[in-house]
Amino acid sequence: MTVLVAVGDSREGQAALDAAIAEAQKLNTGLVVLNLSLSPLQLPSIPDGLEVRTAERHGAEDRDPVDAVLDEIANDNAIERLVIGLKRRRPIGKAILGSISQRILLEAEIPILAVKVN
Amino acid sequence: MSHGTHSSIESHLPPDTKGPHTSRLGLIAVVATFGGLLFGYDTGVINGALEPMKADLGMSAQIEGFVVSILIFGAAIGALIGGKLSDLRGRRENILMLAVIFMIGTLGCVFAPSWEVLAVFRFILGLAVGGASATVPVYLAEIAPAERRGSLVTRNEVMIVSGQFAAFIINFIIFRIAGENSDVWRYMLVVAVLPAIALLVGMLRMPESPRWLVSQGRDDDALAVLKQVRSPERAAAEMAEVHLLAEEEKESQTGGVSDLAVRWIRRLILIGVGLGVFQQFTGINSVMYYGTQLLQDAGFSNNAAIAANTLNGLFSVLGITVGILVMNRIDRRKMLLGGFILTTTFHILVGLSAFLIPDGSPIKPYFILVFVVLFVFSMQATIGPLVWLMLAEIFPLKIRSFAIGICVFTLWIANAFVAFMFPPVVQTLGIAPTFFIFAGLGVLAILFITTQVPETRGKSLEELEDQFRAQYS
Repeated sequence: MTVLVAVGDSREGQAALDAAIAEAQKLNTGLVVLNLSLSPLQLPSIPDGLEVRTAERHGAEDRDPVDAVLDEIANDNAIERLVIGLKRRRPIGKAILGSISQRILLEAEIPILAVKVN
Repeated sequence: MSHGTHSSIESHLPPDTKGPHTSRLGLIAVVATFGGLLFGYDTGVINGALEPMKADLGMSAQIEGFVVSILIFGAAIGALIGGKLSDLRGRRENILMLAVIFMIGTLGCVFAPSWEVLAVFRFILGLAVGGASATVPVYLAEIAPAERRGSLVTRNEVMIVSGQFAAFIINFIIFRIAGENSDVWRYMLVVAVLPAIALLVGMLRMPESPRWLVSQGRDDDALAVLKQVRSPERAAAEMAEVHLLAEEEKESQTGGVSDLAVRWIRRLILIGVGLGVFQQFTGINSVMYYGTQLLQDAGFSNNAAIAANTLNGLFSVLGITVGILVMNRIDRRKMLLGGFILTTTFHILVGLSAFLIPDGSPIKPYFILVFVVLFVFSMQATIGPLVWLMLAEIFPLKIRSFAIGICVFTLWIANAFVAFMFPPVVQTLGIAPTFFIFAGLGVLAILFITTQVPETRGKSLEELEDQFRAQYS
């Protein structure tokens, strides 16, 4: 079993990453960090013994971050849990850009841990 | 209008020695010439053809703006579709198709019985112009050896303005010979078929881009092409570089709409959009499309105006040549600000000449001509090429393709908007207020650059990215 965390270029992304590290330790599993941002990821300090693999969005097939997450789940059978970060969005921003988290929540077929930032 | 591909990969390849492949590379330069020339010719030919066309087809100032700008709207769409098609079907096939559309569009305009038909074919021509702007420089950069890549792409920029200059001169000659004939504009337009034929014939002899072949998984074909255009040792060595660049290109297509949610990325794209829009709001293309008419309105006779307009073309070529030479020696921000200060000053001087010197005074048209030509020169020596360079260097690799696409599209739309508005505005308000409007837009541009645009010369993309993330998140 492996935990997958989707980390975007935002505070909720960092919160998701912290929660995923804790979750992987609790479940005693490996962690896959999927970097949804467009620049290299700054990983926090990883606890000893935790096995971490990072994955990147690459090329036009990964242009949609939701596809990138779903593909990662489909390609790695060990992934049984997904961690994402959420934040409250203004209706206008949601109308223009859509909500990545909402689509992931509805489309992914594994249990999801959603964390919020205060 | 074009933009080069940007590469961070240093190549350590054996030098390309002379051999039978050298003449094929020479042909690439010829195709470069005709791709750019055609682009310039088709956008510039309307300047000089417009006045007889208006008389012949009975066009008002509004219709005039519509017929001229519809080509540019077509180009905005053509640039989007053209980029996609050249990824899907290959650069060579796409350019061949574009050359054929160029011919159909040109001949349709030449034989148009009414302005409505003319507008339809100018739209089709615009699709080809936009498609060529998105495909030809990419093809050139992909097939040229690394050491000649930059010079071929800048050469393309020079060729675009040379095409416009050529159109102004040929229009002047045709007007001298057949100016009395109401069909004279048709003779002017038909000349544009020649570079289209040259592009078609040239491309038929050219191979597909090796980088595109590699991106399609066709390595053997790519190597076969490289063996045609490089020395044998160099060809084999270059395959690795082609692979790296194909990979980098794939990487550049990662980001999309969803990444606009990130504030600093949105900010960078807005800066790119602003640069493109303000470049067009200098009104450079109102001179390139309507220069002859502008000079007539200023007080020149028909004959003198079409002759004087060739100076606009000449100083455009001189300007861009100077611009390319000094571009990398001056800080970007300084050069942009200097450019806008100069263009805005000349806008004001054109406006003041039109406003203060009484109509009918023999010196009035000459004052306006001198200031318009100086405006063209200072624009092409600074803002013109610099904006294209900055668009190629400000975006992080992963969002580059999408970001440049947005910026180029809005740049074309701004170009079309100015072309659409210019004739009716000049007719209603006159030359002076029109140029005061351009001056006002120039002041906005100066404010925009001062407050928003970062210095990018001599900075690595990583440094720029860090600076931006720190500033805007």
